[in-house]
Amino acid sequence: MAATIIVAISIVLFVFAVVTLWWTMHAWRTPETLAGTRFSAHDGTHSLSFSLLLPARHEQQVLEHTVQRLMESTHTRFEIIIIVGHDDPETTAVAERLASTHPYHVRVVTDTNPVKNKPRALNTALPYCRGAVVGVFDAEDQVHPHLLEHVDHAFRVTKADVVQGGVQLINYHSSWYSLHNCLEYYFWFRSRLHLHAQRGFIPLGGNTVFVRTAALRAVGAWDGDCLAEDCDLGVRLSSRGAKVVVAYDSTLVTREETPATLGALIRQRTRWNQGFLQVLFKGEWRRLPTAWQRMLARYTLIGPFIQAFSGVAVPLGVFIALFFDVGTLAALVSFLPLAPMIASLMFQVVGLRDFGRQYQLRIGPVHYARLILGAFPYMLVLAVAALRAVWRFLRKRNNWELTSHVGAHLAVGQAESATAARSQA
Amino acid sequence: MTSVAGRPASPASGASPAPAPDQADAAKTLFIPKMRSGPADNSADAAKTVLIPKMGSGPVGDSDATELLPRILGHGPKAQANPDRGLRRLRPDFLIVGLLVLVVTTVQAWNIGGFPNLTDDEGTYLAQAWAVREGVGLAHYTYWYDHPPVGWIQLAALSWLPALLMPDQLAVVTGRVAMLPIVAAGVVLVYVLCRRLSMARWAAALAVLAYGLSPLSVTMLRQIYLDSFAVTWMLAAFVLALSPRRHLWHHVAAGAAAGIAVLSKETILVVLPALVVALWHGTQRNGVRSFSFAGFFSGLVFVGITYPLYALLKGELFPGDGHVSLIGAMQFQLQDRAGSGSVFTAGTGAREVFDSWLFYDPVLIYAGIACGLLALAVRRLRPVAVAVALLLVVALRPGGYLPAMYVIQALPFLAVAVAGIIEVGAKRIMATRPTDPAPMADRHQPATVVRAGVVAVCATVALVLVVPGWYDGNRRAMSADDNVRYVAAMQWLSNEVPDRAATTVVTDDVLWLDLVDAGYRPERVIWFYKLDLDVEVAKRLENGWRDVDLIISTPAMRGDDNTLPTVDLLLANSEPVMTFGDGPDRIEIRQVAKETG
Repeated sequence: MAATIIVAISIVLFVFAVVTLWWTMHAWRTPETLAGTRFSAHDGTHSLSFSLLLPARHEQQVLEHTVQRLMESTHTRFEIIIIVGHDDPETTAVAERLASTHPYHVRVVTDTNPVKNKPRALNTALPYCRGAVVGVFDAEDQVHPHLLEHVDHAFRVTKADVVQGGVQLINYHSSWYSLHNCLEYYFWFRSRLHLHAQRGFIPLGGNTVFVRTAALRAVGAWDGDCLAEDCDLGVRLSSRGAKVVVAYDSTLVTREETPATLGALIRQRTRWNQGFLQVLFKGEWRRLPTAWQRMLARYTLIGPFIQAFSGVAVPLGVFIALFFDVGTLAALVSFLPLAPMIASLMFQVVGLRDFGRQYQLRIGPVHYARLILGAFPYMLVLAVAALRAVWRFLRKRNNWELTSHVGAHLAVGQAESATAARSQA
Repeated sequence: MTSVAGRPASPASGASPAPAPDQADAAKTLFIPKMRSGPADNSADAAKTVLIPKMGSGPVGDSDATELLPRILGHGPKAQANPDRGLRRLRPDFLIVGLLVLVVTTVQAWNIGGFPNLTDDEGTYLAQAWAVREGVGLAHYTYWYDHPPVGWIQLAALSWLPALLMPDQLAVVTGRVAMLPIVAAGVVLVYVLCRRLSMARWAAALAVLAYGLSPLSVTMLRQIYLDSFAVTWMLAAFVLALSPRRHLWHHVAAGAAAGIAVLSKETILVVLPALVVALWHGTQRNGVRSFSFAGFFSGLVFVGITYPLYALLKGELFPGDGHVSLIGAMQFQLQDRAGSGSVFTAGTGAREVFDSWLFYDPVLIYAGIACGLLALAVRRLRPVAVAVALLLVVALRPGGYLPAMYVIQALPFLAVAVAGIIEVGAKRIMATRPTDPAPMADRHQPATVVRAGVVAVCATVALVLVVPGWYDGNRRAMSADDNVRYVAAMQWLSNEVPDRAATTVVTDDVLWLDLVDAGYRPERVIWFYKLDLDVEVAKRLENGWRDVDLIISTPAMRGDDNTLPTVDLLLANSEPVMTFGDGPDRIEIRQVAKETG
């Protein structure tokens, strides 16, 4: 019995890990694939106009710098819309000052939603967008001055509805986990996103993402209740046949920083994972035309479950192997998931070298050591975030009705009847 | 101006623009509804957006903000299908390979039971394959890590069918038949390897013929040796490493295939650097190469690591009291095993082995070595040349152990090197100097004729040198009947011994499986040297050698190098009941004297 469990778990984990690795390494499959991910040089014409949305919440420190940097863009037709909360006077002051400094380029929109989050802020600003294309940035982003020209070119050449630019965490030296976090971004934007774009199913990134305004309005903009509004928007757009292209170039990526603490990282990951689960259960991806695309969607969106599962399964497997006699063959099979792990670690070592070269960073022996020694702990961190997400999601689903409908206007009796109705369902 | 205008989703509609629909309509017309497996389409959510009139007096949205061409994306752009690629282009290759496989396997299979002598090693591997198939373990005695087991695990998978189809044959003969698919695979792989080294079809065919029809190959490849498995997997690794698609997963597979090769016979490890050279040639310096190498080593390491892992899980990795161990076995193979001297010293074991190869086919050995060293100078042949050079250096190292089957690992590389250099030479001789685009002047005609003549003379000389020797060697292989004594002895043992299940027999490895098939109990059929070398086996006989009923004395038993006191006692205290043949090749069935004296 124990042997059967071990073998089954090992094979399942092995399959998941191999598929993930296969997709992660998409860009390096053949020299031709790698060449196909390159970004063609722009031609200098500016035919599109951009509305750049900049949600800023308690970002008075960095907002000015970000806007100044955006103002250096070589593209001539863009407006910046800063979205501030009605309860955030410090940021509002900075934003207003910027708007008066650059009256033709910067406007401020106030988000008055009682419960604030990023998708609601973006939805608040959408009606004010005059550009043909809406771009989303975070308040702390460092955007390359040439990015808009390249994106403009990409839209025109590919006739795309959505252009996803690259985002790269850059502070690989800050901590042991930041190195892994940076590499994750590197592999995601450098490689795997291209696969998603090619297959016609793409969970978009949260910033440096550009959507034709008309397409955005047509699909109903962002989902104000989704924790991963970017992923959700990508799924809705691509499920309805929008064409998405990925424009990645290491010189043009938007540079960001990793979460400052491990706790912040886990919280961020928990939010993403929960968002993925929400998108999964919304079922929008079922509109995808081919079974292969739906498979890719299902697999991508249940990612948190898989990670949580391996977070439980690996310790369980080790426990069984240690305290039960399962026979040599079963024990040998239980090491099967090690194969993709070895491979992905080797690929990461090479990827780290590649990353250092692309971004002209100094990668020393210390960093390789961090990479190898930190690989398993980082997996555990991700598994913890996944478990938290699953757990929160389940709890949240149990009281979802209540939280969504408990306004001040809801009487106690109604809440009880709603609960009763739900328990009968 | 409306902010959003939909267009009917017909590509042919170059007609007047449609009137601006309201939002809900726009949502429907912007995207083509799709076939779906999900719940019913509910585009209401798409119509939820309520547009607030725009503020400001800025320009109204650009024209491209009001247009969205509906489209459905399938997979990304595929490479253009080139009519010159694919099956049509490969048809001649398929024909050639089919023909070569047919010719080579026919020659290899002809008289497979009659030549060469059945050897102890063949019986050993086949009996171990039997143990794997029957679920006994990796061997029917204590598996002591003498070789990694993957070779006979493959043999276990291949040998049951011939054994089922040919019940009257000796077990080792059916095992030899099981090796034919490996030979056929080797033929295909050598051909593909040559093509991937950009050799012409005729040169690739020449390499295959040299590999498959050299009398040395016909002797060695039809026997049950682990080296055949190993070298075939290694060829597969070379072919994958040189894959023209340069696909990352081909390179991972190349590593895994090399791992399986090493676990089939550990000595193939020598060729690994040549495989790395092949991978270097098979990858481009464009950002993918380092990933390919990482993938290659992942495959190699993971497959390779399973063997020590198995030993570790069984608690048999490190030497210790009372159990066998992987590291102990390696120490024995590397240090304690008696070397066979130097090839350059007359009378040594290594020299004898080398001479026996030359006896079968000096041409492939000498020409292969010479061409292999020449090929170091030709870039595209370098992977194979490095393999030849490495195998040569290891064979010539003084004081090492040189087993007779070592040459199997070199055969394909020698053959490819010869064919490659012949092709290079022929091209050199036939190459015309670049001429003006005008038609060939008369003065070039004689030059071409002379060149063709030179090639013809060279080819004739080569054929005169090669064909007679090969003809003789292969005729002997296809007609000799060297195993008639074994067949007769086995017939007698199957029919004339009354109580077979209760009889204890000491035999060599060749007959072990046949005796078990004939109704003798596996634990009562004993490999002769295990009596003195395996404590467990000695324990089975409570009264020592007196518990043995029959001992089958064969050339293999009488010629064993080990000191085996129990076997000597048995031979001294037994009388021949039946003798087949005479002289040193005879097989005696001897009854052990039971009287206690």
